[in-house]
Amino acid sequence: MVMARSDMAAGRHYRPAGSATSQLSAWRLSRAIQPYLFVLPFFAVYILFLIYPFFKNIWISTFDWNLLEVAFNPDAREEVGLQNYERVLLGRNLIWSFGHNIELKLVLLAVALAAAWGWFRQWWGSTAAFSTAFLALIIAFALGFHPGEKGRWFDGNFWNAVRNTFVFVGLSVPTITLISLALAVFLNHQSRAMAVLRALFYLPSVLSVTVITLIWTFMFNPLQGLIGNVFRVFDAEPLVWVTNPDLAMPSIVIATVWWVLGFPMIVLLAGLQEIPTERYEAARLDGAGLWSIFLHITLPGLHRPLTFVVLYQVISQFQIFGQAHLLTEGGPGQATNTLVRYLYLTGFRDNELGRAAAMAFLLFCIMAVASFIYLRLSSREER
Amino acid sequence: MRYSKALLASAGLMALAASMPAQAQTDLSLARFFGVCDEKSTDIKSAVGEACIIEAIIQSFSEADNGITVTELPADWESYYDQIKTSMVGGNAADVFVMHKHRIPEFATIGALAEITTEEYANVGIDIDDFTDRALDSVSLDGKHYGLPLDFHAYLWHINMDLMEQAGLVNDDGTPKLPSSPEEMLEHAKMVKESTGADYLTGFFDGTAPNMRMFVALLAQQGVDPYSGDEVSLDTEEARNAVEAFSALADAGYIDVKIPTENVRARFFAGDAAIIIDGTWRVNANDAAMEQDNVVIENYYIAQHPQLFGESAAWADTHMWAIPSSLKANDPEKFEAALQLLAHINEHNVDWARTGHLPVRKSVLESAELADMPHRTEYRETADIAYYMPGSRKYGAVQEAIGQRLVEHYQNGRPIDEVLSDMQIDVEDALN
Amino acid sequence: MFGNVGGNRTFWIVVAILGACAFLWTVPTIFMVSLSLQSDENLIISTANVALGLIPWPFTIENYVRLLSYDDTPRWFFNSIVVACSSTVLVLLLSSAAGFAFARLSFPGRDVLYAFVLAGMMIPAEGVFISLYTMFADWKLHSTYFSLISPNLALPLGTILMTRFFKGIPKELEDAAEVDGASLWTIYSRIMVPMSIPALTTLGIVTFLWTWNSYLWPLVTAQSKEMYTVTVGLASTQQGYVDENFGRIMAQGVIASFPVVVLFLVFQRYLVRGIALQSK
Repeated sequence: MVMARSDMAAGRHYRPAGSATSQLSAWRLSRAIQPYLFVLPFFAVYILFLIYPFFKNIWISTFDWNLLEVAFNPDAREEVGLQNYERVLLGRNLIWSFGHNIELKLVLLAVALAAAWGWFRQWWGSTAAFSTAFLALIIAFALGFHPGEKGRWFDGNFWNAVRNTFVFVGLSVPTITLISLALAVFLNHQSRAMAVLRALFYLPSVLSVTVITLIWTFMFNPLQGLIGNVFRVFDAEPLVWVTNPDLAMPSIVIATVWWVLGFPMIVLLAGLQEIPTERYEAARLDGAGLWSIFLHITLPGLHRPLTFVVLYQVISQFQIFGQAHLLTEGGPGQATNTLVRYLYLTGFRDNELGRAAAMAFLLFCIMAVASFIYLRLSSREER
Repeated sequence: MRYSKALLASAGLMALAASMPAQAQTDLSLARFFGVCDEKSTDIKSAVGEACIIEAIIQSFSEADNGITVTELPADWESYYDQIKTSMVGGNAADVFVMHKHRIPEFATIGALAEITTEEYANVGIDIDDFTDRALDSVSLDGKHYGLPLDFHAYLWHINMDLMEQAGLVNDDGTPKLPSSPEEMLEHAKMVKESTGADYLTGFFDGTAPNMRMFVALLAQQGVDPYSGDEVSLDTEEARNAVEAFSALADAGYIDVKIPTENVRARFFAGDAAIIIDGTWRVNANDAAMEQDNVVIENYYIAQHPQLFGESAAWADTHMWAIPSSLKANDPEKFEAALQLLAHINEHNVDWARTGHLPVRKSVLESAELADMPHRTEYRETADIAYYMPGSRKYGAVQEAIGQRLVEHYQNGRPIDEVLSDMQIDVEDALN
Repeated sequence: MFGNVGGNRTFWIVVAILGACAFLWTVPTIFMVSLSLQSDENLIISTANVALGLIPWPFTIENYVRLLSYDDTPRWFFNSIVVACSSTVLVLLLSSAAGFAFARLSFPGRDVLYAFVLAGMMIPAEGVFISLYTMFADWKLHSTYFSLISPNLALPLGTILMTRFFKGIPKELEDAAEVDGASLWTIYSRIMVPMSIPALTTLGIVTFLWTWNSYLWPLVTAQSKEMYTVTVGLASTQQGYVDENFGRIMAQGVIASFPVVVLFLVFQRYLVRGIALQSK
């Protein structure tokens, strides 16, 4: 379309003087190449620093690859096929039973049923519904595996890290979304006071992860921390946070929410300003209450930015590393060890680069599902 | 236009950065832990604490008129070895770096460390005959020497004698009464709690490395190694005894194992615990802290780890300075400079001993200067009961496996049996 | 409140409640600043000296004096700024150029290439950092600005965002320019880029924060003190067992944050407006 139009434009108006035909064809040729020149720089870095490393990662994951040893002697790596995956994912004497993880399974079954219902009522396309249901059933089935008598996972810490990561995402993303939504709704007002408040809520986002963990280490510290100081004012025994198995994960969530809230808040604010004021006025004329205005005008109007916020958060929180590495060091026990931290430790503490690469690939698999959902949801909108 | 300029500028910046030239004069880079010194000085004698003493030793060499300067790389304790490894693989290894004896197998078996010959030691004036046998042994693997031993460090019992006195746990000669069995320890703990209200002891029960150290010391006191070769023996009666020794105190409410690491020392200083299980590295620093107004301890004593089971043993390790093999192979001049730095550090072994660490040189051990340092007589025998973890190429993973499981027990309340059987398999997995 | 619903009184009640929340939100930062202004000796047993520790008393600036006399924090800060700014500028250039081509030009293979970019969305940075690490080791390029910056540039999300944005721009302007015989480069740089300032601002903020906070990659690739970024540098001095230096560590945190905070306070109006404008 664009080509046709430009041909027309060139033909009609602005043809350079001189030997017209040859210049025109040269111009056409360059016009044909130019689009590639625009995408070339991006593709160069994209292929070199993402696509190629991605496949190289898969290649590395098929080796027994000691970080130090291979650096000194490239022949020291040994091809082991899928052994790394086996070592990470499987275990000895694994059995399957229906009762294991039954709560999660029921939730997943409900998801699958909801997808089927959505398809039946034609809310969802068959591909989306079918793939969602299929995925939910597969995961539900996989959750039934567990080590039997005298059995155990080859790498129990891996599964623990996966679980911790999901728990973290499950706790942090809804919290971030709800608080930023509330803030956005209340701060959506053109005034100096609101601008100052917005800035204050946004401020922590510019701090670096090391500063965040530094601040919160001292906030949570029972003896010398601020929260502890507050407890002592009321003569209460200060809570132990980061070394308490029940509070370690919430500590990380609190620090994270405090840190990242600003950006989603701004995105939602921008979304709010997109909603035409007439709609509010019309609703007010109809005598709608604040709550009903929120439910029927604000929320639907925010559909797009909310989707973006949720998925952006899911993707970025899934990669949590700094907070878990610096605030709790994965502890106590393994209570806050996350997938990316474990991947890092496997590669750089234990020198098992091949196994770490296998974990990286598995991380990709999980993230691919999240991105896939995002792409489906957003492409549906474009239609 | 504006944009293309920005592009050019960024590209130029990156090209410039990629081609940063190497320094021409002899500048050694040195990686170490031990912390950051706030009072920069080259005055070795007046420096206090690990960070400042080592800083002063290194800086005095750097600033001396010897044509060699030293740049120190700070490192995060948690990621220290990760960073050593990433920089080695990336071709940016520090020219000299500090490490633990227990890491030798991981680095030396693949040829990452420069072997230092007797001749090379002698050339720069390091007399290896002056090292104690144990010291030389701790920098050696398969008969080859890999650097300069710096110290022996171990866990000690740092004691608030005021509280011990109140609890009636002081001998006539002024030394503390220390337990000789887990049962007696429980009794003592009860006495301290009842007469002073303070905890009997405190320690870093939420940390992986400290937990492992306390644990293997008590294993060693029963004559057991946690593993040897691929053979792991952690799901054992001895291991249970080792965990129960402290666990019993916690269950009875005589100690609080849930104190976060950052607060453990503050509790000791505030008089909330009679004993702190902490390292030789704290001797000098604690003494300095005693001067401060808000530290309540009048009478501070240090004892070696008491014998609770059949044998005496205290967890110990050695700090040593190593040079990467690449330096020796590619840059003999720099290697020579690095050796001179080691010689300088070796000369100041007695100053390093001021931190509280035990020296590695016979001449220093016998010196009057050492004898005059505070508390030294109190824990002198620690060197004789030092227990080293068996060498392993997977030390980091092993330490974490043992430590994390113990943390699960102390912090999450997981039963000992479960913890030990998991620990057994974890360590087996880590070792193969 | 919602649009213009709610009277003046409601408005001020909301402001008061939000103000209280915002104050709570800033408390951790105030605490950091307050600790940095007290001496280590003062903090060793208790931090709650005045107002729970939120007011630095007895007041001292010794931590800062000490730090500025020898510390590497300014250098690390500079590195972080170089890395974050170059990454941001380059990402904006690459993404907007590619986005322009995908959205406004038609060329053989366009849809296939775009699908290829979409597919890249699924690859997380952590999914490739092991292999990137080995690649830079093979090239002997670790511990350079190049190694710190270049992996940040492969950001399919940027190209996708820009493509979507450009698709939404009305075609008339472009047509008019084409009629005047403007080259694609002119259309891109004179028309499309200026019109996409809001989208570029959003993408710029995301990229800047992402690279500013990136920790894992600098942790493995910055292998000398000179090349540390703020994240790695600060972590390297917060040693687990040096626990008497609260004041100094906090001062370091403040020094490392101060310039970005000032930058943010100066530019925040534009940032917020930039994102808000996107909708108009």
